[in-house]
Amino acid sequence: MSNAPSRRTVLASAASLAAITPFGLATAQQAAVPREKTMILVWSGSREGRWVDYELWNPYSIGSNHQNGANIVYEPLAFYSAFADKTYMWLAESFQFTPDFRQLTIKTRPGISWSDGAPFSAEDVAFTLNSLRDMGPKVKWGVDVRQVVKEAKTTDANTVVIDFLVPSPRFFFFMTYKYDIGVYIVPKHIFEGQDWTTFKHFDLAKGWPISTGPWKVTEASLQQKVFDRRPEWWAAKAGLAPLPVVERTIWLPSVGEQALAQALITNQVDAGFGIQPATFKTIFAGNPKITTHTGQKPPYGYVDWWPISLYVNNDVKPFDDKDVRWALSYYIDRGVLIDVGYLGASQTSSLPMPAYPPLQPYFDAVKDLLEKHNTLEFNPKKGDALLTGKGWKKDGEGFWAKDGSRIKVDIIGFGAAGPAMGPLLTEMLKRRGIESAFSMPPDFDDRFQKGQFVGSIYGHGGAINEPYNMLRLYQGRTEAVPGAHLVNFSHWKNADFDKITDEMFAVDPNDKARMIPLFRKAMEIWIPELPDIQLLQNFHRIPWNTTYWKNWPTAENAYVNGASWHLTYPIVLWNLKQA
Amino acid sequence: MRLLYIARRFAVFLLIVWLAASLNFFLPRLSGQDPVRTKLLAEAQLGGYVQAGIEDMVQEYNRKFGLDKPLWRQYVTYVGDTMRLDFNYSIANYPRTVRDLIAEALPWTIGLLGMTTLLSFGIGTLLGALLAWPGAPRWMRYVMPPLWALHAIPFFLLGLILMYLLAFQFQLLPIFGGYSPGAAPGFNVKFILDVMAHATLPALSIILVSTGGWALGMRGMMVTTMGEDYVTFAEAKGLKASTIFLRYCVRNAILPQTTALALALGQILSGAVLVEVIFGYPGIGALLFQAIRENDHFLIQGIVFTVIVALGFTTFILDVLYPWLDPRISYQRS
Amino acid sequence: MFRYLKRNPSLAFGIFLMSILAVFLLIGTFRIDPEDARPLSAPALHPPSWDYPFGTDRQGRDLFAAMVVGTPLTLRIGFVAGILGVTIGTVLAFVAGFYRGIVDTAIRGIADIGLTVPGLLILIIIAVSVRGGLTVNQMALVVASLAWLNPTRTIRSQVLTLRERGYVEVARLSGMSGPEIIFFEMIPNLLPYLGATLVSAVSAAILASIGLEVLGLGPLEAPTLGMTLYWVNFNAAIINGWWWWWTAPIVIIVIVFLGLFFMTVGLDEIANPRLRRSI
Repeated sequence: MSNAPSRRTVLASAASLAAITPFGLATAQQAAVPREKTMILVWSGSREGRWVDYELWNPYSIGSNHQNGANIVYEPLAFYSAFADKTYMWLAESFQFTPDFRQLTIKTRPGISWSDGAPFSAEDVAFTLNSLRDMGPKVKWGVDVRQVVKEAKTTDANTVVIDFLVPSPRFFFFMTYKYDIGVYIVPKHIFEGQDWTTFKHFDLAKGWPISTGPWKVTEASLQQKVFDRRPEWWAAKAGLAPLPVVERTIWLPSVGEQALAQALITNQVDAGFGIQPATFKTIFAGNPKITTHTGQKPPYGYVDWWPISLYVNNDVKPFDDKDVRWALSYYIDRGVLIDVGYLGASQTSSLPMPAYPPLQPYFDAVKDLLEKHNTLEFNPKKGDALLTGKGWKKDGEGFWAKDGSRIKVDIIGFGAAGPAMGPLLTEMLKRRGIESAFSMPPDFDDRFQKGQFVGSIYGHGGAINEPYNMLRLYQGRTEAVPGAHLVNFSHWKNADFDKITDEMFAVDPNDKARMIPLFRKAMEIWIPELPDIQLLQNFHRIPWNTTYWKNWPTAENAYVNGASWHLTYPIVLWNLKQA
Repeated sequence: MRLLYIARRFAVFLLIVWLAASLNFFLPRLSGQDPVRTKLLAEAQLGGYVQAGIEDMVQEYNRKFGLDKPLWRQYVTYVGDTMRLDFNYSIANYPRTVRDLIAEALPWTIGLLGMTTLLSFGIGTLLGALLAWPGAPRWMRYVMPPLWALHAIPFFLLGLILMYLLAFQFQLLPIFGGYSPGAAPGFNVKFILDVMAHATLPALSIILVSTGGWALGMRGMMVTTMGEDYVTFAEAKGLKASTIFLRYCVRNAILPQTTALALALGQILSGAVLVEVIFGYPGIGALLFQAIRENDHFLIQGIVFTVIVALGFTTFILDVLYPWLDPRISYQRS
Repeated sequence: MFRYLKRNPSLAFGIFLMSILAVFLLIGTFRIDPEDARPLSAPALHPPSWDYPFGTDRQGRDLFAAMVVGTPLTLRIGFVAGILGVTIGTVLAFVAGFYRGIVDTAIRGIADIGLTVPGLLILIIIAVSVRGGLTVNQMALVVASLAWLNPTRTIRSQVLTLRERGYVEVARLSGMSGPEIIFFEMIPNLLPYLGATLVSAVSAAILASIGLEVLGLGPLEAPTLGMTLYWVNFNAAIINGWWWWWTAPIVIIVIVFLGLFFMTVGLDEIANPRLRRSI
């Protein structure tokens, strides 16, 4: 889309070109693949329009992020799709816990080989787990594995036996690929003897990174990452999944939402990253073939597993008082947040869990509790009553005060959710007499993690198909998992709740008969306390272009969460059909 | 004599570099933020899940980056490394090194700023000189007011307006970036045209705004120069108008103008940061902004150091050339 | 006064522009409720209409109210920083230029080095280091921290020139002390120059503050001109076609800068009569 440039710019650019150093191109000779067999996507995990990590294909090394492409290279023991509540047993054929959950036996599938010809076996799985245990804090998942795994042994080519230090009924699920959580299984014959923190696993001439999956990296540079289909993929041969129709997928770095919108409109790109609701109108107007999980209607996406709340630091007075927290909740009109903050493209969330099918029985189990204490209710009068009941009075300027000091909520936020809701929340609170201010400090993560905040807009990375991990987010102390790092962002403390959570740790997540009553007991404590104020679900509003590809995971056909950065993306790739 | 002058100027240059480098080492650390922690937490937050042991991981990485050593040790290492142009790894962009990142971004900024500054300085100076000259064509007078008006507003503001008009409303030029996404860089015509198309809007914003400023300055200088006795004498001698114009007036007026150029370099770079950020242009300005937001110590240090050295060096060269341009100024201390 | 203005069109035009702004602000203050500059006071993203002459933005601010409330905030940052900068600069300039010696070398050295560094970069580093968001007053102080550099240098050169003038010699011989000479003889003669420097410093300060705000480092809640542009950029208002959102702040910024610029030119002419010429 360029016009004949003026003489000035010709001169201007000539100098810049004369000085351009060749960007790190690592090209292999590629066969030409037609556009209609290519799926091009843009992902914002890149840095300012460049793949600075184009050489990093070891997901455990420092600086590596599986969201940038490694997620489709390393296959897992199993995939899990929350929407379909379906587990795809993958490199593992089956698994079995002992009744006390202190030992896990995994049977890996025979007949799988890596892309360099070496056979895949249980040795790779045992090696991965033992190495993670040994390296501990040096690599991702290291500590999670070290805390519970004593040793992983192979009894034959296709059997792994894992001994645990504590009963761990959730360990297989932990290793399963879902959203951004899952253990990457690496090839022993390549990774053995390497320093995992710096090993890049990148050498296109040798065919590195090797993979058991259908995608081979054929080019990686600052400008793009290119994956070509491997027709010899084991799963296609075994009939477990169709060979992808997509022959090549190109991942481009992002230069911002505006550029993505343009690229979608001009059909240069087939899939993007999550964008703001307001941009969709422009995109649909420019190209009617763009769609989302909910088609061209709000909320333009699917519910992500990260419901967002207004956290208040329970260690800071007066937010250690549950009545004050409930008052804050009563003062917030979630409808306004949705209409103004997201232009109608969002939904409320009554508990810090996403509204996924497998969690529905848990929501049902506490329905009556939620009716009695409605975590989403907008009722300023109730809020006023609670505050006056605790001795707060409105001062001369209409702000709630006691003993000379006002209630002040300084809210910090980040990303997209912060600016979308921050100014609105402070406005609503101010109107009800609570002093409030919003900022987006550059060290947001640091301050939030350290508890150096009063209020914060953040989400919950907890439950997916069962609520233990959500409860764990609020646990203050644990004895069941020695040495565990408890996030407890809200700094709420309740010993009874901690005990119940510990009890649930050892319960089989599939045993609903025991899980549901335990959950209810925990919620009977949690809901009246309301450690943080519930707001909205988080959505992945991802635009998909149906000009070249269809069968995206939409609401009518929600076979998996469609984010390209999730570990489950290979499922999308083998489901796509030509338009 | 001349050598002493150059040596003294060079010493000043070195002093500036050292002072700046030291300041630049301490400032990011003053904020008390831990860049490794920030980076790791940001990544954890991307996945929505803070994995166990993140504190230990932070410590590991701090050890690896040498951020756990006492401050004076870090300073000494920093000075040593900087002398060898080793700016360490970029924390936020690991595993790229700072040197690589700067090497990638610098050509874009040098290209954009270098060309636009030279062009606007050249055109503006010529324009200003002509405007002061009574013999200049009349139509020139009408060029002046719009340039005046434009020069008072910040670069990026004009950039926004141009972006709306030319890139959005009339869709003549691309909105964003240095080149189209997915385009493979190389010395082929397609890529070159792509880069030029993307550079047009940022360049235009800077050129249209700067030209007026230089024209104004030059006009002022010319007025002063034209009032000098030697010009009257030259006119009385009956020299050609063009000779008087070029060899007497412009030649002398351009000297303070050049000083102004040296002084303005810092400001131009400041303005360019905003232009690059707004247009997503992959230059040093945008890189620095990102680095500061993430408190990536090493990258900030590397860039600020490079910028200061570059500016200091340019000023040094100009300082040395100035007496050569104007023999009235001696090399001795006044 | 008016007769002079007729002969100094730049100053006249500059004052004229600033008066337009003043009138706008005056009328605006009476017509609006300052509460409307806050979010959620109006339906979001409405184009200009009778109720909302400048339209509304994404968070439901009435942009007319926002401009009326925000413009003085931006101007205040500029004035506070500019005045502080020129005051400090004048003091330093006089100390350096009048007394000379080591103090002069030191002050001049610092100012020179400071000017070599792109100011915005230092400001960004400072703004990012401050814990918590910046308030409007804190921004003024941050900008002021660098605003004295240029005034120091320019006023110092003027002091150097004035020092050698006849009446200063006379004053010294008649026994006036240093500070007395400075206050009673030199400053009155420098007033037009100080005025020009002040206006120029204010303009530079406003530019710096807007620059910081557009990058998102300013007071997030205040509807200042720069923050409005930040939200414009953040919400991709340009490609989404909400033209009214960025037109108002840009027009006001242009008026402010043009006005201040022409005033500087005009004041420069008073200070240096040789520059007098019609455009």
